[in-house]
Amino acid sequence: MGAALAGAVGLGLLAVPAGAGAAPELPPVTAEELISSVMTADPGPFNGTVKLDNQLGLPALPQLPQAANGTSTATVWSDGDRKGRVSLPTGQTERTLVADGTTVWSWNSADRTVTKSPESEGPHRRPAADPTAAATEVVKHLRATSTVDVDGTAEVAGRSAYELVLAPAPTERTLLREVRVAVDAEKRVPLQLTVLATGSSDPALRLGFTDLTFGAQDPSLFTFTPPPGATVQERPAHAEDAKPGAAKPTVVGDGWDTVVIAKAPTGERAPELAALGKPVSGPWGNGREFTTAVGTAIVTDDGRIAVGAVPEQVLTEALTK
Amino acid sequence: MTPAPQPPPRTASTAPLGRLLAAEVRWVLLRPRTLVMLGLFALIPVVIAIGVVVADGSGGRGLIGATAGNGLVLPVAAMTLALTLLLPLAVAMAAADAIAGETAHGTLRGLLLAPVGRLRLVGMKASGVFVVAVLATGLIAVVGVLAGLVVVGGADGQLVTLSGTTIGLGDALGRVALVAAWTVGQLAAVGAVALAISALTEHPLIVLASVLGGLIVFGVLGAIPALDFLQPYLLTSGWTAGADALRDPLPLGGMGESTLRALGYAVVGGGLTVALMLRRDA
Repeated sequence: MGAALAGAVGLGLLAVPAGAGAAPELPPVTAEELISSVMTADPGPFNGTVKLDNQLGLPALPQLPQAANGTSTATVWSDGDRKGRVSLPTGQTERTLVADGTTVWSWNSADRTVTKSPESEGPHRRPAADPTAAATEVVKHLRATSTVDVDGTAEVAGRSAYELVLAPAPTERTLLREVRVAVDAEKRVPLQLTVLATGSSDPALRLGFTDLTFGAQDPSLFTFTPPPGATVQERPAHAEDAKPGAAKPTVVGDGWDTVVIAKAPTGERAPELAALGKPVSGPWGNGREFTTAVGTAIVTDDGRIAVGAVPEQVLTEALTK
Repeated sequence: MTPAPQPPPRTASTAPLGRLLAAEVRWVLLRPRTLVMLGLFALIPVVIAIGVVVADGSGGRGLIGATAGNGLVLPVAAMTLALTLLLPLAVAMAAADAIAGETAHGTLRGLLLAPVGRLRLVGMKASGVFVVAVLATGLIAVVGVLAGLVVVGGADGQLVTLSGTTIGLGDALGRVALVAAWTVGQLAAVGAVALAISALTEHPLIVLASVLGGLIVFGVLGAIPALDFLQPYLLTSGWTAGADALRDPLPLGGMGESTLRALGYAVVGGGLTVALMLRRDA
């Protein structure tokens, strides 16, 4: 009988999340210093597991099941420079992305296809000339519309981290309450991003490492050979954004209540929106409104789409302008 | 008058464990229903292989779809498929016969009176159930590898992982063995709970009904989003982890976690079985 009790207790212990320990003691740092150190950080090779906890309230997209509410995990490997590998397991299938330095391979086990595209040229990391000045500039720019602070410390993926908090200034009309970035105290890389919306204590989005190890990686991880039986498709670089005549989106406002107005996608690949959303109308015409935890979008009947991390009223004003 | 010669002193007061285990295993394996069941289990991978070949590449989703042209996925797919209900059924059947069945036939009394400690009796019964779990899983794995290589074939005798890498035959067989061992671990948990129920009742059908009913209830509970907090306690919630063996590099987290959970269930079931059997009147 005692053994049965011990087993039950063991089961209970298994279910307890490997909890956040006490906030670690770290030397104080200002927001400018923290951002400047992140800009110059060179973490080197690492591997880890990234967990996405998504409560944004977006519809599930067939191409990207990670967009719908729920949690998903990915495993990442990086050689610290241009090479990397990401694996996105979903149920009994998996997508794998491998960047081997010159080519990006994308593998989908569901239909056994490999997509091969050349890696975009150009500087991968552009070190700022003077990180301290650049960080001061960034913080100054952010402080125009937000409060930027280092708010204590946290433990993320078993590592001590500073919590950098961005909150909108009281004049900003936004659905967001706070954006928190946990920055590793030693390596100065972002470990976790948390987005909090107004009216909810649970994060709307949390993306972060649940486990992270720095150190040399097996170079064979950064190569990919299409397996036998796979269909290989070649995709030229920048095929998507080279469309001529694509109108540049209009930006209304600045800071947290920025609204972007663009032409709604048309043609075969455009998603069928007519059955979704809530019908709305205003001085700008008629359309359909989509609300999520962190943002609102209005698709008008005349083919415009307005998106922002704002309530409906701000979108309406931006569309009327 | 010479006194009668003293009988030689008894050196062993109980039967040797090896003989007990051999007797129990022989007893379990000589039941025609066990043999028929094992024979049917061997057919599972063959049927899947034929189905995959007939469907010819249009496979579909999931592990069965991944089996098309990639034969070494077959044993893992077959074990994952069978673990949902068929393998637990086999284990529950063996556990039902082991104690409740013997009670129903009145043969348990003889065992309880025999010079065998109660603890050893439980160990003997448990190993009979374990042997069924190992044989059923092993049969699916071995027939799966053979059917995968012979009937499905493809991928040049190698395994194309879900991650898109190709691994050799030896490594692939190692992974099949890993999934088989993990599956046996999960079945041991089911078997331990089934034995505890078997010790409670004298009707073998109750054992079968409670194990299968329990698994179905676990499945339903696991599918309700509002009951997410139950997931870490449900034995079945980790049963998809077998597919992880087909990923590269091999992630062991899912299988490790579900093995620990199975261990918890096995300890609970085993402890209850021992407690019930120790208190039982002959």
